[in-house]
Amino acid sequence: MTSTRASEAAVPLAGRRTVPRVYRHLSAYLMLLPAVVLLVIFVIIPIGYGFYLSFHRWDGFNEPVFIGTRNYIRLIERDDIFLKAVSNTIIFAISVVLVKNLLGLFLALLVNQKIRGVIFFRTALFLPVTLSFVVIGLLWSWVYNPAFGLLNAGLELLGLDNLVRPWLSDPATALGAIITVDIWKWTGFHMVLFLAGLQAIPRDLYEVAIIDGANAWTRLRRITLPLLAPVTFISVLLSLNGAFVRNFELVFVMTDGGPNHTTEVVLTHLVTQAFRFGKLGYASAMGFALFLVVAVIAFTYIRIGRSGTYNF
Amino acid sequence: MAYAAGDNNTDSFGDVISRHLSERLKLLLVYAILIIATVQTIYPLFWMVFGSLKTDADLFNNVWGPPRVMVWQNYIDAWRIADLGARIGNSIIITALSLTVLLIVSSIAAYTLARLQFPGRQAIFLIILATMMIPPEVTVIPLFIVVRTLGILNSRFGLVFVYAGTSMAFSIFLLRGFFMSIPPELEDAALVDGANRLQVFWHIIMPLARPGLATVAIFQGMFFWNEFFLAFIFIRQAELQTIPLGLVNFFYRYSADWTLYFAALSMVTIPVIILYVAMQRWFIEGLTAGAVKS
Repeated sequence: MTSTRASEAAVPLAGRRTVPRVYRHLSAYLMLLPAVVLLVIFVIIPIGYGFYLSFHRWDGFNEPVFIGTRNYIRLIERDDIFLKAVSNTIIFAISVVLVKNLLGLFLALLVNQKIRGVIFFRTALFLPVTLSFVVIGLLWSWVYNPAFGLLNAGLELLGLDNLVRPWLSDPATALGAIITVDIWKWTGFHMVLFLAGLQAIPRDLYEVAIIDGANAWTRLRRITLPLLAPVTFISVLLSLNGAFVRNFELVFVMTDGGPNHTTEVVLTHLVTQAFRFGKLGYASAMGFALFLVVAVIAFTYIRIGRSGTYNF
Repeated sequence: MAYAAGDNNTDSFGDVISRHLSERLKLLLVYAILIIATVQTIYPLFWMVFGSLKTDADLFNNVWGPPRVMVWQNYIDAWRIADLGARIGNSIIITALSLTVLLIVSSIAAYTLARLQFPGRQAIFLIILATMMIPPEVTVIPLFIVVRTLGILNSRFGLVFVYAGTSMAFSIFLLRGFFMSIPPELEDAALVDGANRLQVFWHIIMPLARPGLATVAIFQGMFFWNEFFLAFIFIRQAELQTIPLGLVNFFYRYSADWTLYFAALSMVTIPVIILYVAMQRWFIEGLTAGAVKS
């Protein structure tokens, strides 16, 4: 803020020419215009328009018919697949947020020790982050494949034949199998975040603690975790923000919501309703519900973060 | 190792030995866990490459191991049937154009928000901050209608503007931070010498902001290259499809040519892995910094 003022003040102080205020503001608005136009067209209008559509019945071609809150009521009262999708989305979100962060922190603590090959482990574990969900989804649907899949072959090799199953077509394991893949993709990412946080903690804090006789567990609880709080905040926020919506690709590629909707998530149901059955108003209601969930989580989380240790 | 608990002076010889042993054991355990984690991360990728070179019989009977005979023909067939050349071309065009539009538009806007004072500055920034957290997935239906109304459905340009528009807020936020960290004195000198704002921006700020631009380029470039959901909604014509769409399309059309799928997947994945390993520091820093700054 202060630096900005200094920069602005320099112009009149130098007195090189008298620029009319309006003109100077005009140039600022002109410089913002392209970005604002793109934002309005592709982000802001869709949010408002989606809200509008969610109160209508619409096939996408004829006039939208206003039906009040009937779409929302139907979602909650008559659409069992939607409720199943909501519960799956929540299970997906909670599991991936918890496991990615815990596993990422655990691996970061391991890699952060004075060991050889840190760069190698970091490079290898981060690799899946760079691959697309489609590539990873296809690859893992083959790993789970009952005929030639890596997983069943591995279980047989270890003598665990009773665990062998068609992972993606068994209703008991399909959702878990997809969740595992999402965790597989992102754990390395969270490990790198935590590792950066760990490396920023001053070494002498630990040395002092050791002299005071603190054991490893106490040092983790009293030094590492509190000082890691800002990184933890970011890491959880990032996983949380994507957890409700970055699940379409994996589900679509691996099971397409099956078997019998056991892996259906809100986005797959939304796309089916909109583009297979042409229920655009109904799908908009689903989208807006999802929007509210994401927005409420993001804002609550940022409020908590702001009042706590971390500041933007 | 350096943090073993206790007071060294009073340790007996036996204590030292047992502590040394337990340190060794701990190190061994750490390595064991890291190696298991690494193997389960990269073995599936080796397995993909193995599968791409196998015969059908080999794929089903020799699940774990490398191919007994190398079937390079898989690559030739997969390239031709999946029409990978066209898909790779589309992905390159769409990613490059989206990045160009995004970087130019967002850097000018970010600079304006970082340096200029004007009425409404705070309000515009708050709107950008608020929309940054909204993923395009949740507004996909109205977004579809907007794109259809504009007549840019089923067009590479349409997808480019959707990508640039939905990544705009994030990119502006990130670059604004970089611009604010550049000392304003540099620009003041140029402004005094009679340069205008755009000249200052282009000749002084942009070269200094290269690390920030690189972060956005890696982070968003990766995102555009890998993106499936929006492309799936907005591109329905086969000849316009990007790589992720093409792979899914290929996979659903030829349901038994497993080795060809492995080959197609390997062909699009290996270049990304090579690029990543060659520039791993850039990738890791760009992707994590990009995410954290948001």
